[in-house]
Amino acid sequence: MSKQVLRKISQGLFLLLFLFLFIQTESKGYDTLGYPVRLFLDFDPLIFLSTLFASRGGQIPAGFFLSLITILVTIVLGRVFCGWICPLGTLNTLVGSFRRRHSIALDTNWHKAKYYILVMLLVSSVFSLQIAGIMDPLSLIIRSFSLSIYPLVDNGLRALFDTIYNTNISGLIGVSEAVYGLLKKSLLAFRPLFYLQAVFIGVIFFSILGMNLIEKRFWCKYLCPLGALLGLCSRYSVLKRETSEGCTGCGICANACQGGAISEKNDTWRNTECLACFSCDDICPQNAVSFGLGRHKNQAMNLGRRQVMTSMLSGVLAVPLLRSTPLSKTAYLNPDVLRPPGALNEKEFLRRCVKCGECMKVCITNGLQPTLLEAGLEGIWSPRLIPRIGHCEYRCTLCGQVCPSGAIKRLPLEEKIKVSIGLAMIDKGRCLPYAHAIPCIVCEEMCPTSPKAIWFEETVVRGRDGKELIVQQPRIDLNLCIGCGICEAKCPVGNRAAIYVTNIGESRSQANRLLL
Amino acid sequence: MKRFVSRGDIVVVKPNIGWDRLPEQAANTNPEVVAAVVKLCFEAGAKKVKVFDRTCNDPRRCYKQSGIADAVSSLGAEVSFIDERRFRDISIKGQVIKSWPLYRDIFEADKIINVPVAKHHGLARLTMAMKNWMGVMGGQRGSIHQKIGESLADLCLVIKPSLTVLDAVRILTANGPQGGDLKDVKRLDTVIAGVDQVAIDSYGATLFGMKGSDLSYVKAGNAMGIGSMDIARLKINRLNV
Repeated sequence: MSKQVLRKISQGLFLLLFLFLFIQTESKGYDTLGYPVRLFLDFDPLIFLSTLFASRGGQIPAGFFLSLITILVTIVLGRVFCGWICPLGTLNTLVGSFRRRHSIALDTNWHKAKYYILVMLLVSSVFSLQIAGIMDPLSLIIRSFSLSIYPLVDNGLRALFDTIYNTNISGLIGVSEAVYGLLKKSLLAFRPLFYLQAVFIGVIFFSILGMNLIEKRFWCKYLCPLGALLGLCSRYSVLKRETSEGCTGCGICANACQGGAISEKNDTWRNTECLACFSCDDICPQNAVSFGLGRHKNQAMNLGRRQVMTSMLSGVLAVPLLRSTPLSKTAYLNPDVLRPPGALNEKEFLRRCVKCGECMKVCITNGLQPTLLEAGLEGIWSPRLIPRIGHCEYRCTLCGQVCPSGAIKRLPLEEKIKVSIGLAMIDKGRCLPYAHAIPCIVCEEMCPTSPKAIWFEETVVRGRDGKELIVQQPRIDLNLCIGCGICEAKCPVGNRAAIYVTNIGESRSQANRLLL
Repeated sequence: MKRFVSRGDIVVVKPNIGWDRLPEQAANTNPEVVAAVVKLCFEAGAKKVKVFDRTCNDPRRCYKQSGIADAVSSLGAEVSFIDERRFRDISIKGQVIKSWPLYRDIFEADKIINVPVAKHHGLARLTMAMKNWMGVMGGQRGSIHQKIGESLADLCLVIKPSLTVLDAVRILTANGPQGGDLKDVKRLDTVIAGVDQVAIDSYGATLFGMKGSDLSYVKAGNAMGIGSMDIARLKINRLNV
């Protein structure tokens, strides 16, 4: 079996593993998920380093040290992660296969762009700004799948089966419902998923895939900061490409090279760009290419001092630039940003959140949604709870379990149910018992704490006809309310709830306290 | 059970699985009670037994954590989550409800058996058999809190169980309907079965030191002739097992 076939099998298996773990990032009703769903992120050295730098010596989740294995393997064998494992790389290869010609050979210096991006991201993280996750390929693919691609496929299939279900062709319905039942148990989400910015995030993702039609593995060659990091690690790797005397310089291998590592005339080979895909080995008509272990002469990697300085400077400047927002002035300028329970205080949280979307994928009520600018540009795509979409389920602790960087702490249930993410307030102008003397008290019924944070006072009011009525008016015990938002989620005042949660009183903030 | 279930029947057994709570917290019907009812249905020759509830907390957690899904699926019952497509607008000639989306399976079944748990409730004071039917209501069901007594009685005009089995193995006496604190749970090891939901609820009230007439829906059900709240005139067999 040729190495290229092996590589394709490996890519396929890792993509399947990735998709399997992705699908398993969903509650089955137990307290834990049963699978190490964030495994790919654990092996990601880019977000490991950026978290290590940005969190400034804070505690690093143990799982992250697995990423050292990725680094070690790369130091020995080169960028096999890119060529054999990375799910985004595999999707890029797949889409790229729709392009006939291999390369349009962009200016040969373009591959340096990703190193500049890497330098910028890492320098930013040294100055406490965590934005590596925006471009980290694993963060990016999980975020895109979670918030956009998967809901798109899921809702599309549901619409298809619903359409058949609503026809009157009984035989067809029988078959389609059987298939639907199977899909519901395997691939489909438990319930339809909806995310803010699904379109925006999807457009970015499809654009990245689309770039393969301009040039195969465009993203991997020119943009990917993780590829750049691994490229740096692979500089002295021992996997060595050799060409024997039979080489005629035909350039076929240069055209087949997935990483753009071989020059047209096959006279140079940049090992930092080699994805160890073995395409050149397989395609050579003279069978003149071979890979072996050994030291090789490195082609000097010259990124250019000025260019590197510029990227470093951009990394430094990005910090005050992204933070020049009034949000920096107070931690709680936006009262509607409810962070998931276990989230570190806002500053620490932003230094760690890599915007991978795992927490939003796993959120049992679909209530965790990505921000756009509500938490500043720095906090783009970080999670916020929107109770009207879904509340925080009292006995669920999944978001803390899947967070790769410790931005959301993993809390045991006994602790989680004591963490307040905000406080509920009543809009007396809309609340039925207050404004209209109509019985309701659904908020009290739903309130999960024991004793309930929402209690009621029986008040005597007078109706229009002058008759006295007794209504139960809800009140909130601020010492007991944890801001889970189930009251807001279930409030029967349809469009805008008469009870709502804002982040005041959140346990993680000293500044945002309400009570003495 | 042979009196209520015939050979080949499709039976719906409707427990309360509304909350993400454990059996000992008494917020859901005791899984052993539900399992016993399901077992008796099969023994009486039921072809299929369906178990479901429209939950308040996440359905996956409610079904699992209540212990009910595991307890009855091993007996061969069909445990399914609510499928939003299966709600049908049902017209009701009620005092306040004229029409409501209700779960289709209730009306397609040959027999229905109500298996509620007895517990405290802030608005309705207690929730037992009649209020358990909120679990087959679609739409914005919280709205019926506005006229809870009449609404529940209206619902019982169209939902007619052959049998009601009220679980009072553990009752929740405060912080209902979901409780949470074991101090609020009282162990009675009692199960009350009967054919009249109003009577069952009226009798159930006595477990909490109340009377049927203290409950708006029992009063409304009695007035509308759905059942009788006068427990003095009931034939009650007390069995100690």
